[in-house]
Amino acid sequence: MIRWLLLVLLSACAALAHAQATEVIRIAHAEAVRADWQSPAAPVQGWVQVPLADQWQTRWPDHDGVVWYRLRWQQGDADQPTGLLLDYTCMAAAVYLNGSLIDRDPSLVEPLSRSWHVPRYFLLQSPLLKQGENELLVRVSGLAAYQPSLGVVDVGDPQALQARFRKEVFVRHDLQVLDSAIGFVLAAVIGMFWLLRRKESMYGWYALSAVFGRLYDSNFFASSPWPFPTTDGWQAFIGACYVAGAAAHTVFLLRFCERRWPRLERVLLAIAVLVMAGALLWPQWMGPNRNLYLVPTIAFLYAVSFTFMGYALRSGRRDYQVLALCIILPIAVSLHDLGVYMGWYGGVSYLGSFTSPLMLLGMGFVLAYRFANTMQRVEGFNAELRNEVQLATTQLADNLQQQHALELAHSRAGERLQLVRDLHDGFGGTLVGAIARLEQAPEDMPRQEVIGVLREMRDDLRLVIDSTAREQADLAELLAPLRHRTSGLLDAVDIQAHWHLQDIDGIELGASRSLDLLRLLQEGLTNVFKHSHAQRVDVHLRRQGDQLQLHIDDDGVGLAQGADGVVAVRTGAGLASMRLRARRLGGELQVSPADNGTGTRLALVLPLMA
Amino acid sequence: MELSSILIIDDDAASLARLVRLVSELLTDQQTRIHTADSLGSALVLLQAHQFDLALVDMQLPDGTGIELVGWMQQHVPQLQAVIVSAFAEEESIFAALRAGAAGYLLKDREDIELTVALRSLQRGGAPIDPMIARRILSLLPIVQAPVAAPATPSVHLSERELGILNHVAQGYGNREIAELLGLSRLTIEAHTRNIYRKLAVGSRTAAVYEARAMGLLP
Repeated sequence: MIRWLLLVLLSACAALAHAQATEVIRIAHAEAVRADWQSPAAPVQGWVQVPLADQWQTRWPDHDGVVWYRLRWQQGDADQPTGLLLDYTCMAAAVYLNGSLIDRDPSLVEPLSRSWHVPRYFLLQSPLLKQGENELLVRVSGLAAYQPSLGVVDVGDPQALQARFRKEVFVRHDLQVLDSAIGFVLAAVIGMFWLLRRKESMYGWYALSAVFGRLYDSNFFASSPWPFPTTDGWQAFIGACYVAGAAAHTVFLLRFCERRWPRLERVLLAIAVLVMAGALLWPQWMGPNRNLYLVPTIAFLYAVSFTFMGYALRSGRRDYQVLALCIILPIAVSLHDLGVYMGWYGGVSYLGSFTSPLMLLGMGFVLAYRFANTMQRVEGFNAELRNEVQLATTQLADNLQQQHALELAHSRAGERLQLVRDLHDGFGGTLVGAIARLEQAPEDMPRQEVIGVLREMRDDLRLVIDSTAREQADLAELLAPLRHRTSGLLDAVDIQAHWHLQDIDGIELGASRSLDLLRLLQEGLTNVFKHSHAQRVDVHLRRQGDQLQLHIDDDGVGLAQGADGVVAVRTGAGLASMRLRARRLGGELQVSPADNGTGTRLALVLPLMA
Repeated sequence: MELSSILIIDDDAASLARLVRLVSELLTDQQTRIHTADSLGSALVLLQAHQFDLALVDMQLPDGTGIELVGWMQQHVPQLQAVIVSAFAEEESIFAALRAGAAGYLLKDREDIELTVALRSLQRGGAPIDPMIARRILSLLPIVQAPVAAPATPSVHLSERELGILNHVAQGYGNREIAELLGLSRLTIEAHTRNIYRKLAVGSRTAAVYEARAMGLLP
């Protein structure tokens, strides 16, 4: 791929050169002679024949200073305007035609003007141009370490040469400036991304690598070593920029791939800092010996780029692949530039810095791609969030429902437990008592008595049910069913029941004591109903402080005058049971004749609190 | 009321015998035919064959509930007084029976004399009631009887008098006491009770069936 690209490029250049060859003479040979920095005129002695283009360090490896080049050509008609094109002079130069100065760089001694790949074009005519032999003298000031040289020289058709000159200026200078400008703008934009979003350090590294890269590129159009006092200083600095740019670029690629190799990164950055420090402190060494660190850096960059491309192709991610594509061409170009730098095929046509627009496209795509992805994620996130919220709400509702159900179950269980307790406290006692009574009863116990025991149990159960069916266990509430029922019963036998309830609202005795009290009342009234032959019964229930007073007064026959024997026994049993209940309630049942002499009074005082 | 033909439905033989005994004791001086049935099915057969003045219907029957039967009677033989008989007063099901059209209810766990009193009241055209049922009926009424709000719900509309009676019953007052307090005869109190039950059943058939269903008393 790369070779193919190179071939295309080279053949294109060759084709251009061939097209112009017909009207233009290339001066392929010159004479050269060394001189010192201050040499005012070409020496007479010491000329040697050299082919052009000539790099003098191959012949005079240690010669820093001036080399005079003498070129001659035969000119036909001197009145005919003739073009003269010097491809380049490295570094600074002065040009003389037939002894007259026709061009001179601002500084021919350190700091040398940097005209190392600047083409020079002259339009010549008589009288400066002579018919017959013309002599061109080029005084080149250069340093052996930086390929001091004179490029090829062409004479001929001014239109063709001027066109070539313009093209070369355009390529070597204008495009480089443009490229640098784009590069700096891109670095600034991406750098702002990083400034506003430090977390995305990839952009920061890109900006850093771009800044160093463009500083390095400024070598292509800088006209003096400023701000450095010497060429060494400049060369060392841009060399260090190249190393720093390579290090930053490597870290950028790592971040781009969402990787972090701290050890390698630290080593790279340390090297970059060391080289930069060396360049600033010892330029006179770092400049001439730049190949020591530049060549490995270039090799390293190739390794990094190829690794990245391999990774990107395998990753299957669109943004990786696009960036990899953007790196392929620069690599091809840089191979070409490496050849130029190493002097493999002559010329000074570095193409390396035309890669900024390409990188601009690549990074632009990466940014847009990631932005679009992020937006998609954000939009997706909203939907996801909605789903999550819905899910959470449902779960919460479920949880609450479960909790509610659990609480309901708990409260039901509690209610059941209370019911069981009420049954146990209320009815259990009755049952145990009944069993005891039946056990102690004689074998020939009359059926009526057994039925009586069962009825008592039934009545107890009725009361338990009545009292547990209430929402409130208030004594007044509990009394209502009993009162209504006994009233109806007593009505049936024409006994008027009168109830006198005072201050009993809000009294709660608890299940067991309530039952005892109700049972006692029921038995008392049953006795009135069955045995008293009364016409009226008065039930008084009154709260007094923390006590409850109960009387049941009837106007019947009274206890002592009880009728037959059976009745007496049953009344006795009933009374015993009432006394037991009275004691359980914390009081003593008083049975006495009523105030008016006839009838019976049952009286009980019980504490409200057990 | 002339009770010349009575139908007693109960699947428990002893209980049935007791009811038959109590009814015949009460109506010794009358020519009364007493038919008995031990299931909903046989009761329906009898109901289609004969005319009855009073039906005592046990709540739990082997092939259905007394409430169903009461509902059927209300629909097909409305002149028949249906009285539900419950072994152990379950407030909800008694109430459902009243809504279905029962003219009253008897509680089997009561003394014979209490049942006799209740039957006598029925004979006189009255109806027995107790505080729990009174409370249940009261809970059905809107607390403030706003004339505007009333039509929205097909609730029961009771007169002041009826409301007063229910309130007293709920507090446990006996019928005689209530009669004295309100300056009415005891008979009137019982008649009012019967009236309350009638109002409870009027227009509430669907409601009653619905309630019975909700309580699991009806399939």
